[in-house]
This record gives sequence, C-alpha cells and structure tokens, in this order.
Amino acid sequence: MKYSRLLFLFLVPLLMMGCKKDKNNPGYNYMGKHDMYYTKFYKAYSPNPLLPNGMTNQMPAEGAVARGKMPFPYKGSTITDRAQNQSLAGLELANPITSNDAIVQEGKEQFRIFCSNCHGLQARGDGNLYTSKLFPAKPTSLVESYVQNKPDGEIYYVITMGSISGLMGPHGSQITPENRWKIIHYLRHLAK
Amino acid sequence: MINTGIVFKKPLALNAFLKNGLLILLLLFSSLSFGQTAEAEANFAVCKACHTIGGGKLVGPDLKGVTERREEAWILRFVKNSTEFIQSGDPVAKQVFEENNSIPMPPNNLTDEQIKDILLYIENGGKVAGASEAVVEQTPKPAQDELESTMILAEKKQAEAQNLYITFIILSVLIVISIFDLLVSKILKARWIHVVIMLISVVVIGEIVFLESAALGRQQYYQPEQPIMFSHKVHAGQNKIDCKYCHFTADESMHAGIPPVNVCMNCHSQVKQGKLTGTKEIDKIYSAIERNKPIEWIKVHNLPDHVYFNHAQHVNVGKVACAECHGPVEKMDQIIQVEDLSMGWCIQCHREKEVQFADNKFYDQYTKLHQQIKSGKISKVTVQMIGGDECQKCHY
Repeated sequence: MKYSRLLFLFLVPLLMMGCKKDKNNPGYNYMGKHDMYYTKFYKAYSPNPLLPNGMTNQMPAEGAVARGKMPFPYKGSTITDRAQNQSLAGLELANPITSNDAIVQEGKEQFRIFCSNCHGLQARGDGNLYTSKLFPAKPTSLVESYVQNKPDGEIYYVITMGSISGLMGPHGSQITPENRWKIIHYLRHLAK
Repeated sequence: MINTGIVFKKPLALNAFLKNGLLILLLLFSSLSFGQTAEAEANFAVCKACHTIGGGKLVGPDLKGVTERREEAWILRFVKNSTEFIQSGDPVAKQVFEENNSIPMPPNNLTDEQIKDILLYIENGGKVAGASEAVVEQTPKPAQDELESTMILAEKKQAEAQNLYITFIILSVLIVISIFDLLVSKILKARWIHVVIMLISVVVIGEIVFLESAALGRQQYYQPEQPIMFSHKVHAGQNKIDCKYCHFTADESMHAGIPPVNVCMNCHSQVKQGKLTGTKEIDKIYSAIERNKPIEWIKVHNLPDHVYFNHAQHVNVGKVACAECHGPVEKMDQIIQVEDLSMGWCIQCHREKEVQFADNKFYDQYTKLHQQIKSGKISKVTVQMIGGDECQKCHY
C-alpha cells in the first residue's frame, strides 16, 4: 500500500483517548520528580521510612520544654490523678498575661474558634452543637459561679487536659498556652 | 408536671380525638403513669456529663436503680447541693463522695418537682414516654438545592475538559481527512475548502494545546477520594465548626495543618454515628487510634516545591479568609481544588488586594507608607507595594 504510512495518523486521536480526565488524578507536570517541581525532601505530613513511627512530623522528646515556654507538669491518666492535678494547677498556676481590652478581644476570637461550638458565644452552655442535638451532653455554663469560682489555673488545666468527665476533650494540642490564658481573661470579662 | 406531660402530647391527643376517643384515654393514662416530661430529658443533659443510666460508672455513679438504693428526700438534698449535704455530716453522702474519688458534684438549681421528674425519667430507663415519634420527625432532610454549586462546578469543569479532548480528536481527524482528500482521493474539487478546514483546525488545536500545556502541573478541580468519607459540608457547613478549630496551625505555621485524631475525638468520643454513613466511617478513627497508625489523608492543594507559601503570613498577618483561596469548602462533601493556584493567580491578588494596614502590628515598620496614607497620597496599600511581586519573596 502506497499510503499505508498515512494510516498511523489515525492512530494519534485514538491514543489521545487515553488522556481522559480523572478527578482522582492530579494531572501531569513537565519534569515531575526529576526536577525542582517535586523535590525529594520529606514534607511535614509525608510518610517517612527513616523514622521509627513512619512519620516526618515528630513529637518533641518527653519532658522537653521549648525556649520561653512554661512547663506543664500536671499530666495524669486516672480520674483521681487528674482531679488532684487540677486543683494543684489551680493553686500553682497564675495567669501570666495581664488583661486589657485588646487581650479580651483576642481571647474572644480564640473562644469563638475553639469553645463556642459547644459552650456558645456567651459561654452559657448553649452552643450550636448542643442546641442542634448533635452532641448529647449539655456543656457547662462558663459564666455561672461553678466555673467562675475556680482559680485561673484550674480552668487552664481543663482547657489543656479536658474535663474530668472526659466529655470535653483535651484542647492543649490545638490552643497555644498564651491563647488559653487569653480565653480565661475573656471568660472573666463575660462574668463581670 | 403531670399537666405539662399532657400538653406535650397535645398534638398527638388532638389528632387521636378526631379519629378515636379511646386513644385519648390511653394516652392520658400512659402520661399519668409515667408522669415525666421532655423537660426531664433536657435537665438530665446536665447530669449526663458524669452519670449514665445503665451505662456504667463515668465520673459519678451509674444512676440506674438509684431510686431503689436511696430515699427520695436524700436524693433531693444531694442533687440540690451535694457539698453542703456532705459537710452537714450525712454518713451516706460522705461515703458516696469518697467512693467517687472525692470529686464534688456541682450544685443544681432545680425545684423538687423537676428533680422528681428526672427521677421518673431515670426509672423509665432514660426515655421520655411516647417521645420517640417526635424525635424522628425532627431529623432534618438534606436540602436538595444545597447539593448544587460545588458538585456542579466540578462536574462542569470535568465535562469541559472532556469536551476539549473530543474537539481535539475531531479536529485532528478532520485535518487528516482533508490532507488525504487533497493528495489522494480528490473528491472535493474546490481546494480552498481543504485550506479553510485545516486553518481553523490548526488554530483551535493550537488553542487547546496551549490551554492544556498551561494546565500542566496545575491541579485545578483535583478531587481525590480520601481514606475517610469526611464531609466538610457536615462539619463546617451544617455544624458551623470554624476552619481553625481543626486546622489550628494556620495562624502559626506555614502549614494549615491536618488535625490529629485527638481533635476528632473531642466530639467523636460521644458522636459515634453519622446520619448518612452510620458507624462505618467514624469507626475508622477509632481503629486508627487502636492501631496507633495515622490516617493517610491525600493532600489536595499542592504547590510545586520551588514555590514558598506560608499560611501564617496570609491567614494571621494578611487576614485573608480561608474561602478566598479554597472556595466554598462548607458546601463540599469532598474537597475539590477550586482555584488553579497558578503564579498568575497569585500575582493578580498581590497586585489588587488591599493589605489591612490599619491596626496591624506586623506592618508598623512601613512608616513611609503609613505617612503616605495619612497625607492622602495613596488610598490603599497593595501587596505589590510592600514587595509582593518580587521573585525572591516566593522563589528562593
């Protein structure tokens, strides 16, 4: 066949059919792994074959205290331990931040993000998750005397380690220590 | 309280009155014999923090059969103010207090009737008589129109891409056919038709090739399936949980952060069943904790490694809302990359967007610009004016 060579041109569109877009496929890039596009270092959240638990993100060594941060020696696993540690924290910890309007505003913003889902914006225990019946137990009102009579350190302990009942989870990993103290300032401001 | 019991069932009773008078009598009897109301359930929500009914000991003792163990008057005093009661020297109260790790039960501002109502509710095993139907009716149905926007956006764009490929194929075939006809078969005598067809095809194919090669390395509308069917629509949309509750490092770090499982457990220690997926998806969190293995989420928004992007700079300093780059996440069941995250897209925002200069400590040192704003020389400061389009800000 004289023109059989031309036939292969028909194959090109057929090959193109293979390039179907898949939502699971991130697509192609010019050089891929062989260029600076995706380099070979381990990213913060990527798995890591070199480290024992297979993760790049590692916890700080047990007992390590970051420069300029306060240690928090009140961990405890049993209910009795935690009840003791909570009152101990109440006695020993003092709020390192002095309150003013700006601090209260910052505390309010942090409270909105981390607490208001359950405790409500006004901290009356009427957050959206409870009122819409998604979370079964009633959150504590934070403006009434039961919480307000507790020293700052105990509230700080509950934010960090969660409530003794276990219904409120530990928020220590989410909220920075400074912001926890700011939230406490906001709570004091609310009860005024 | 018995009265409110009947009031609560009024719609039911009224309905029954129209159909059958006997049913009213039955309902009356049932409510009289149980006596407790929906209010008791609401009040018991406070108790639930530390007590269960037949679910074992939490912080406080299991309340199942508490009315058989203790006298009513004793319970009333204990519930109202346990600390006072213990200090008054009641031996049983003291024993209960010590048995439960000496954790005081907070005082409750309830009337005698309300507490008796709760006790009936406990006797009934934690159920309000006849309330089950009412609860079922309250579960909201997913609104149909909410499903649109993002899903349609994604599918539209995927279909658009599909159309581009089909156009590409058809036009390539057309070119081949016209070349074949021009040189070999010569069916059409007018040669200008071949030329026109080929010219149009080449232009359109060139356009497609340009678009596709520009999209190389970008992942717009990438929507991978995640290991858990986690829905942002449920969590951020319906439950109104703030983005930063889970992505809590966005303020402090380059990475917005994927929440560790202990953040999930803040709610899912209690919420064990989803409305749509049941226990299947939520169980994956528990098994991850049990096996002590991280959940391997798939990263959707990827930038090439030769670009530096920092969330803290944009979220904390620049006060850019999450949705400006990530789109309407609160409407997405499955996260999809809405923007193309191209350099042009970055630069455009840097040229146009006003920096929040006022009351922003981070920009205090830009005194010259502050003066210019004060004197009215410039009306706003863009990112470009503080060096936002210099190459080495992002590429180094």
